[in-house]
Amino acid sequence: MSVLQKLDDYRYVVPKSFRPGMKIEGLIYANDELIKQIEKDQTLEQVANVATLPGLVGRSLAMPDAHQGYGFAIGGVAAADLEKGIISAGGVGFDINCGVRLLASELSLEEVEPDIDQLLNQMFRDIPCGTGKAGIVGLTFDQLDDVLENGAEWAVRNGYGTEEDLHHIEETGTMPKADPAMVSERAKKRGRDQLGTLGSGNHFAEVQYVSEVFDETAARAFGVRQNQIVVMIHSGSRGLGHQVCTDYLEVMQTAMPKYGISIVDRQLACVPIKSMEGKSYLGAMASAANFAFANRQMMSHWTRQAFASVLGNGTLKLVYDVCHNIAKEEVHTVNGSMKKVLVHRKGATRAYPKHRPEVPPDYGEIGQPVLIPGSMGTCSYVLVGTAKAMEETFGSSCHGAGRAMSRHAAKKSTTAEQLIQQLKEKGIHVRGASKSGLTEEKPDAYKDVSLVVEVVHQAGIAKKVAKMIPIGVIKG
Amino acid sequence: MDERFRILEHPADVGIEAYGETLQELFENSAAGLISIIAGSSEIHSGQRLHVSIESTDVEHLLVRWLSEILYLSDAERFLFARADFERISETSLNGFLFGERYNPAKHELQMTVKAVTYHQLKVQRQGTWSATVFFDV
Repeated sequence: MSVLQKLDDYRYVVPKSFRPGMKIEGLIYANDELIKQIEKDQTLEQVANVATLPGLVGRSLAMPDAHQGYGFAIGGVAAADLEKGIISAGGVGFDINCGVRLLASELSLEEVEPDIDQLLNQMFRDIPCGTGKAGIVGLTFDQLDDVLENGAEWAVRNGYGTEEDLHHIEETGTMPKADPAMVSERAKKRGRDQLGTLGSGNHFAEVQYVSEVFDETAARAFGVRQNQIVVMIHSGSRGLGHQVCTDYLEVMQTAMPKYGISIVDRQLACVPIKSMEGKSYLGAMASAANFAFANRQMMSHWTRQAFASVLGNGTLKLVYDVCHNIAKEEVHTVNGSMKKVLVHRKGATRAYPKHRPEVPPDYGEIGQPVLIPGSMGTCSYVLVGTAKAMEETFGSSCHGAGRAMSRHAAKKSTTAEQLIQQLKEKGIHVRGASKSGLTEEKPDAYKDVSLVVEVVHQAGIAKKVAKMIPIGVIKG
Repeated sequence: MDERFRILEHPADVGIEAYGETLQELFENSAAGLISIIAGSSEIHSGQRLHVSIESTDVEHLLVRWLSEILYLSDAERFLFARADFERISETSLNGFLFGERYNPAKHELQMTVKAVTYHQLKVQRQGTWSATVFFDV
């Protein structure tokens, strides 16, 4: 018998009685099918554990793609009072500003399909990907500090893309309050050679076509139309971000007793936002986030070059770029009054509605694009943020499909050759840096992204705009 | 003890269960487990030597810091761990040398990017012999 309280068809409350020490309730967005999957692992316990942290407001949230993570569930959202609350490095995660961007071409499916193999070969040559692959920029540490401070703006200034791109990136591609001095030498050493690389795991660059438009007005505003070729890039802050999180988990664990904070899971280590350690982490986190913005900006540039050389048309307009793993100072209505909070999004996407100053002016009457990548070989979605998300989820929505099968089980159940053949039969061409990397990411190793998106849409915390189907995938 | 470590799998995780007659053996086998996730069964020579010195608050913390060091060296310095020679090891500190070699794409096939060592379900136990469970973010 579940202890969850079903609120309606798409929401379940985790009551404070779920575990001792919960200061706020949990709220999980799921339908009957997804909640069964969510109950299989430790997601509920982790949502409840987060609710024990000091100074949180509202509810400890989990999106429909939620699954067990480290400390925080992946798909988790938690907001802390800016004055009295905490910042948790684990609440952002190891891959700081792992995120996704969508580029819209001027070409149709019919125009690209005949050359898809050549296009993928070119992209695979131009975008460094896979485990251990170095980027192409030999950066000095001074230049790296410039990247950490300025993010995508650094990339544009150095010839990767255009000024116009910056307006369509969350935070215009530059997180404020970045402080490269708070990033350890180790983190910088780990990340220096990795700028401009896709990475491995679930990161990808995908050539897709728009298969369905649900909201014509929003799609038109985003520059997305039926049958159009688009490119989705999913990557993060690479080793630099991983090391920043590792470093600050240590810092926070050591500092916690000083602030009288005790936690139920070591991975939840946290410190007051206003503490010296909290400020240092936020400066380092913003730096790592900027590394990720620059990273995706560089890969967009190479994608445009590949389109230009193979297809003769390299115009790819940046629709938007969103963070999946981040903590941000925002203003939200809490218990009827406006409050400054720090929103942790761990595997969740900001989903702001129209008329918000943070939304680019050309999307001002529509809302912020919310980009939801599917697993390899399945569909992806563009959604738009809603006012309901502001009321219920601190302006947040889901981030993807969510893993359902272990990497080992995925590898055992198919060979890379079989998988490549199966995908080819579905009209999807694949280039992968490693065979095991491919099979680990096979489509059925993940939850059904359409189901996840449907729950978000029905619950009203983001609305469907368009659906995309891949024709070519590049995997690390 | 024949088995040095075992790979553990959950939907979103990869971890290891490592074993050792002594704490020293446990730490060496844990590192071998982590490197097997990163570099598969690639043969790693022990021609290069690095000094290592780590302190911690408890044995679990020591294991996380130790494995984070092995991971950092593989990702930033491209140093693949082969074996360790400890001068001193207790539950809260260790001191010694790492032996291994630099990553060579012609020889080593990297299998997986490990992002970090986590505290998730972390356990170090002594019941006659030592055992440890640790999960990695991949």
